[in-house]
Amino acid sequence: MPFSSRTGQNLVRLLRVPLVAATVAVTLAGCGGRRAEPPPKPEPVLTPPTPEAPADPATKPLSEPAPPPRAAAQAPFAPPPLEAIDGDTKWIDRPVRDALPDLAAELDKQPPLATVAEALALRNDSVDHNARILSALGRLPAAGQADLAARVDRHLPADLNSTNPLLSSSAAEQDVLGLTGFGLFSFDRHLEPFAAAETVARWQTSVDGILDKVVLRDDLVWSDGRPITAHDVAFSYRVIMDERVPVPAVRSGTDQLRGVHAYDDRTLVYFHQEPLATNVWNINFPVIPRHVYADTWEDDPTLKDSKRHVDLEAKPVCGGPYEIVQRSRGQEIVLRARDTWHTVKGKRVRDVPFFKEVRFRILEDPNTALLALKKGDLDEMILTPEQWTTQTIDDGFYEKNTKATAPEWVSYHFAWNTKSPFFSDRRVRRAVSHAFDHERMLGTICHGLYTPCTGVFHPTAWMATKKPLDPYRQDLDRAEALLDEAGWLDHDNDGLRDREIGGQSVPFEFTILCNQQPMAQEICTLLQQSLERIGVRVNVKPTEFTVLQQLMLEKKFDASFGGWGAGADPDTASNIWATGEGRNFGSYSSPEVDRLFAEGRTEVDRAKRAEKYARIQELLWEDQPYTWLYWRNSFHGFSKELRGYVFSPRGPFHYSPGFGSLWKPAP
Amino acid sequence: MERPPQAEPVGVARPAAGFWAEAWHRFRRMPLAMTALAFVGFLAAVAILAPAIAGTKPVICRYKGRLYAPCLAYYHRDWEPVIFATDKFRGEYPRNLAEKDPASWAVWPLVFQDPYRAVRADEWPGRPANPARDAGRPSRRNLFGTNQSGVDVFAKMVHGTLVALLVGFVSMGIAASIGIAVGALAGYFGGWVDAVVSRTTEVVMCVPTLVLILALLAIVEKPTIWKMMAVLGLTGWTGISRLMRAEFLRLKSAEFVAAAGAVGAGPGRIILRHILPNALAPVMVPITFGIAAAILTESGLSFLGFGQPPPAASWGSLLNDARSNLRMWWLVAFPGTAIFLTVLAFNLVGEGLQKATDPRLREARK
Repeated sequence: MPFSSRTGQNLVRLLRVPLVAATVAVTLAGCGGRRAEPPPKPEPVLTPPTPEAPADPATKPLSEPAPPPRAAAQAPFAPPPLEAIDGDTKWIDRPVRDALPDLAAELDKQPPLATVAEALALRNDSVDHNARILSALGRLPAAGQADLAARVDRHLPADLNSTNPLLSSSAAEQDVLGLTGFGLFSFDRHLEPFAAAETVARWQTSVDGILDKVVLRDDLVWSDGRPITAHDVAFSYRVIMDERVPVPAVRSGTDQLRGVHAYDDRTLVYFHQEPLATNVWNINFPVIPRHVYADTWEDDPTLKDSKRHVDLEAKPVCGGPYEIVQRSRGQEIVLRARDTWHTVKGKRVRDVPFFKEVRFRILEDPNTALLALKKGDLDEMILTPEQWTTQTIDDGFYEKNTKATAPEWVSYHFAWNTKSPFFSDRRVRRAVSHAFDHERMLGTICHGLYTPCTGVFHPTAWMATKKPLDPYRQDLDRAEALLDEAGWLDHDNDGLRDREIGGQSVPFEFTILCNQQPMAQEICTLLQQSLERIGVRVNVKPTEFTVLQQLMLEKKFDASFGGWGAGADPDTASNIWATGEGRNFGSYSSPEVDRLFAEGRTEVDRAKRAEKYARIQELLWEDQPYTWLYWRNSFHGFSKELRGYVFSPRGPFHYSPGFGSLWKPAP
Repeated sequence: MERPPQAEPVGVARPAAGFWAEAWHRFRRMPLAMTALAFVGFLAAVAILAPAIAGTKPVICRYKGRLYAPCLAYYHRDWEPVIFATDKFRGEYPRNLAEKDPASWAVWPLVFQDPYRAVRADEWPGRPANPARDAGRPSRRNLFGTNQSGVDVFAKMVHGTLVALLVGFVSMGIAASIGIAVGALAGYFGGWVDAVVSRTTEVVMCVPTLVLILALLAIVEKPTIWKMMAVLGLTGWTGISRLMRAEFLRLKSAEFVAAAGAVGAGPGRIILRHILPNALAPVMVPITFGIAAAILTESGLSFLGFGQPPPAASWGSLLNDARSNLRMWWLVAFPGTAIFLTVLAFNLVGEGLQKATDPRLREARK
């Protein structure tokens, strides 16, 4: 099933929600993780093989602090007739794939390291056992092996804000709407983008990279029985681009397009402004049914408030393999596989999903969730490191469950507000990085399960720098020297460093925001202890997650603890680092970083792109606008009945087929 | 104390003093209540002397020819002598004292453990770092074990005593002041004053304290226990006010009040000198129970993670630590027992007070 992928870099809620976005930057592009797990078959060509030089990067409006005026270009856009386009365009066919058989083929080339029975008897206490469990249980079913009437109980760490795919921004919403939403494009576990064969018949890109043409399949229907057409896609684009509709997360990326036009029920053309490497991600946006929203959305652009929209919240018209049949707020959401997905006009046109029913149980407390997993009320959940090391090692856990881990591109950091009087100086930020007790954090608080993080890109990603960046270690002498150099000395002899700013003596005392998870608080408390030793006072303020998000967006903070899940394309990071961008909460600004991001976007050669992003990582590492802390691996507990979990750099579910590859054996 | 020329007030004051003496006399004969009172006294002593019982800063030390008391930093972080910051002690005293001034000496707390952080290796020469997680079970060095990050539970509990008692006494102090004043006015003056006060009381009773505290913690820049105490106090006075009003309604028609009025005493004097001392006994009981309830509320809030910001030393926050790993039983057992005993003690004291001051109960016992 297509993974509806409005999922760029995501703000991460520590240990609970793997990927929660504030305003999701959405340009996913390129691919990655190749060095980590070389796929056994040749990869499809990604970027249009245009020999032309990229457009002049200086014309990109990225270095301006004001919101980039990208949307301006598409207002007066009038699409040329299809004949005119077809007449003078040379098309290149792009991959249209069915993710499931592709994954099966890939897995088949790796012989299992253990039998299923052996793997189920194993305890996951070593790298070798983990590999065997994943290898034996992460398999797809042979014909007739899966129980297609099965139900799976999934864990949802937070309720959905909305069931409308356009309003989706958190990981919880991705989990649910990935199954109910309709999409044309997706990406596999190596983050390679493609068009989903379940919904797309043909996908072509013009040689100059400025047009994408998609032909939809003719056997698609919404859950209310009406056909899904190209007009739905063009309509969704119009709604997304309307300023009145509050969908900033989905709009970024889509706003790089000039327009989307449906020429008939099946033919769709995407018009780009420039041949960007990220175009392939910009055309991937969620789709809503036109016949449902056409009359209602302009009266209520929030898509949430009017009576009709409230009703749709409870029972949305779905385009994916599943539909929502029941929703009790704060408790559970029940999805059922809809027949109209796989059988249209009495003919089987698509595979039947492996589960008849998917029940999401909303349990905010990870310990409650673990109890439910042990009891068998849940079939899967994300484990905290503490749960992984201490609470999932006994018979009580292994009676019904097993667990698996894999690297994930999710990193955590202290973010410094570079506009605050404390952290505007790079030397101060470096001093704090030196002062923090990294070893204690990794060893004690993180149970030695995480690796230190050296900057924005995961070391196994293609865009990561090849230069070995040395992780910071606690060095209080150096930290003090840097603070002295930056002018933060104890002038008034009160044991606290201070500095004259605007004629006033400001003591170095700041507040760090963090979420209410115990681990986040422990890490911030450790920062407090570390800095107290060198005369800097820190107040830790655990903050409710939505309040925290709001404070970050309004830039009302000095420092905060948080995390990002990597987007599939490095360009997603520009939303966090380029001047004036939406999630640049710390107001970081570097002309060179802005320039490199702009160049990286237009550069189509993978190797040359990688150089640009590697340079960005090095520059950011020097500037330390964040104190990078660690990469979080994914830790998952699974019921022994489940099979078919395969991890990607975005965890076991957030790619294609992702959750679609899970199954339960027939009894 | 002013001594008025009239004889009556002296005459009134004497039986009042006799009443309390008599109550104390009866209270002393209740072994359970006396044990509870002694326990409360013990807690108070622990709370006040906490930095001398458990800490990593010397109680008193001589350094470069002068005497310092770095342990005061536990009461307020600004009270740490600056010289130790300028000399780059970095919070570690034992080694630095010896290194930077060999002639120095220090009196150390009974237990060398810190309530806010784990003791590092060799901080006290020859001692290993505190164990963390499952390894932190109670031992000779960590009497009550350590929490997940290796902070000593005993030290946390000793320092948490101050928080618990402060919350109880300060919030109930606020509540009692408001409740007594408001109730006295309503009861004495009656009429529209009474109507306004009674309705206000009812409105305040409707405010859910817990929700108010949660809302407050979300808005304020720095949530501290003082703000929590203020909220507990500002919402907890209603019961006291009602009792006070009832007492005043009863007493204002008493003969001695009429007598005081007859010789020209003003309302202020009548309220404060004549009625109040006689009306106090019944409200002492809800105040004592209120202290117990406030301690429980603070622990509850900390348990839910809405208490003091970390690294707070509070009993409830230890229970919160235990929530993520129930195998660390010492995180439940010790603070749980402490909360239980403290609340029980205050309740027993309150019950004793009630028995000692209520004339009807007194009659019944005879």
